[in-house]
Amino acid sequence: MVVLSQSNFNNRFKGRYLLDNTAMKLINLKKSIGKKQIIKGLEFEIKSGEVFGFLGPNGAGKTTTIRMMVGLMRITEGDVVIQGKSIKHHYKEAIREVGAIVENPEMYPFMTGLQNLNHFARMIPGISKERVQEVISLVGLEKAIKQKVNKYSLGMRQRLGIAQALLHKPSVLILDEPTNGLDPAGIREIRQYIRRLATEENVAVIISSHLLSEIELMCDRIAVIKNGELVAIQSVSPIADDIEELVCRVQLEAKPANKAISIMKEEFGMDGDFDRGLIHFHCQRELIPNVIQSFVKNDISIYRVEVSKATLEDKFFDLIGENTIG
Amino acid sequence: MVNFWQLTQNELKKIYIQKATWVMYILLIVILFGAALITITSDFITRDYNEDTWREELQEENNKLTKEMQEEAIFQEYNTGLIEQNNYYLEHDIMPPGYGAWQYVHENIILVSLISLFTIIVAAGIVANEFKWGTIKLLLIRPSSRVKILLSKYVAVILFALLTLLFLIAFSWLIGALFFGVDGLNPHMVMEKNNGLAYVSIIKEVLVGYGFKMVNLIMMATFAFMISSIFRSSALAIGIAVFLMLAGNSIVMFFAEHSWAKFILFANTDLSQYVNGNEPFMEGMSLTFSIIILLIYYAFFAISSWIVFVKRDVAGS
Repeated sequence: MVVLSQSNFNNRFKGRYLLDNTAMKLINLKKSIGKKQIIKGLEFEIKSGEVFGFLGPNGAGKTTTIRMMVGLMRITEGDVVIQGKSIKHHYKEAIREVGAIVENPEMYPFMTGLQNLNHFARMIPGISKERVQEVISLVGLEKAIKQKVNKYSLGMRQRLGIAQALLHKPSVLILDEPTNGLDPAGIREIRQYIRRLATEENVAVIISSHLLSEIELMCDRIAVIKNGELVAIQSVSPIADDIEELVCRVQLEAKPANKAISIMKEEFGMDGDFDRGLIHFHCQRELIPNVIQSFVKNDISIYRVEVSKATLEDKFFDLIGENTIG
Repeated sequence: MVNFWQLTQNELKKIYIQKATWVMYILLIVILFGAALITITSDFITRDYNEDTWREELQEENNKLTKEMQEEAIFQEYNTGLIEQNNYYLEHDIMPPGYGAWQYVHENIILVSLISLFTIIVAAGIVANEFKWGTIKLLLIRPSSRVKILLSKYVAVILFALLTLLFLIAFSWLIGALFFGVDGLNPHMVMEKNNGLAYVSIIKEVLVGYGFKMVNLIMMATFAFMISSIFRSSALAIGIAVFLMLAGNSIVMFFAEHSWAKFILFANTDLSQYVNGNEPFMEGMSLTFSIIILLIYYAFFAISSWIVFVKRDVAGS
């Protein structure tokens, strides 16, 4: 009988991460502070060339997770594997693949943008002066780069933060709330730039946000977390071709309403809300005729039925419920 | 591997780019100019002896000092010392040196305390400020270990101290040369040494004097550095370190009657207590003893900062 030691086990599986195009992998990631577990076993993968949204209400554990991804916080249990290298055991090799902004894009306020970039460039071997200039023009900061950072607006600091994260051409880019403080034009620009990085340079981009509407537009997939747990992973497909699969939001005017709601509950197991004379509920599109049929059978008068496609936002709120922290 | 020097260079740049650092240097320059002006306007020290009549001049000086001593008891000790020095020149028939650049440098040994203060301020901020600015996150997510980053910061602090010290010596000499002239390449003077008075090289005395003061400087800077990396507060680090620097001697005196007082850091930071005929602070103390005690404290400061900095979770600012 062969007993595999932990390291043996890790070595055996290391090869597998490299086979597919997984850029980052979270394995049963947990974090406890004191007795309280704040991250409860997150497990998902991010592929190269993918823009991955990391969504959750404030206090859900997004930033804690990101801090563990980049080694700022100790991992209580589990691991983060970046391009096949464990952040726990091969920190330097793993972090070399990563560019990141964690929380706010904070820079040395008493130095110019250029001095800041040069400072961080010196910390990683092999970054040329040309590369520094390249990133500056990528984020469009040429004019302000010789100004001190304490004169920068939040948007400019955000751009400088992104420039700093891109200096060493990372294969994984982690941006914590990257559109914070940007005006709509700036957001659009960053969005386009992030998409280009993913498709052209095959970078895996992880974007955290508490605003769904914002990352819905630039992400391929979105992971939703709540109270340190993964609630759902959802692909954002621009074309909803399989319309039958979609969940619809239904508003229905029927009398008597309470009877209708109890029938929905008994026969279909659906929860309906009664609000301002309308019954609201979510159900799959193909079920709608069945529901109405059974209402008619039970002598419920139907005045109006409105069906709309449930947006991701509805789904998001269904998943996380009230915005509770705790 | 990131070049360790690159990291240290970054840290030095961050120190010298800040205005507060320049204020320190300007303060130093102002003090050096001021002290030189005071020295040159008071007729106390500035004197060049005449090659033919220096013996008479010294004798006259001695008479003056004796008279002053009789009038004001306060000068007793100081004037006796001066008279003894003058007598040494007379007995050995050595013409006393004038007051020159190196003498001025020698007198400014006292300003090393000011540099200690500056170094404490720099050491107190170098880790804590990264947390305050939030830049610690960007600093740590690089392919360098935390130990290396911490060490580069510490080395930068020590380099700052050395550079400032060199600046103090060089600028003292320049101002001294400007105000008092240069008195030969290697001027000698009479000073109290192990076996009473001796005729010694001033340059050597300068180096030894600054060297002794460096011990206290490095210990206090390392202490401030430790507080800075443990508590992430520069104000706290400056406060405690400056307080201890100023109160160190009083603390030792307060506990002087206890035999364990010799284990207090400040009883050991002044290594000059073992030379120039001085008495050690307490019985049972020797140069080796003090060096061992200093090394133990130093190791404690260094290891505490290291452990806390490396293990810490870098959480919200």
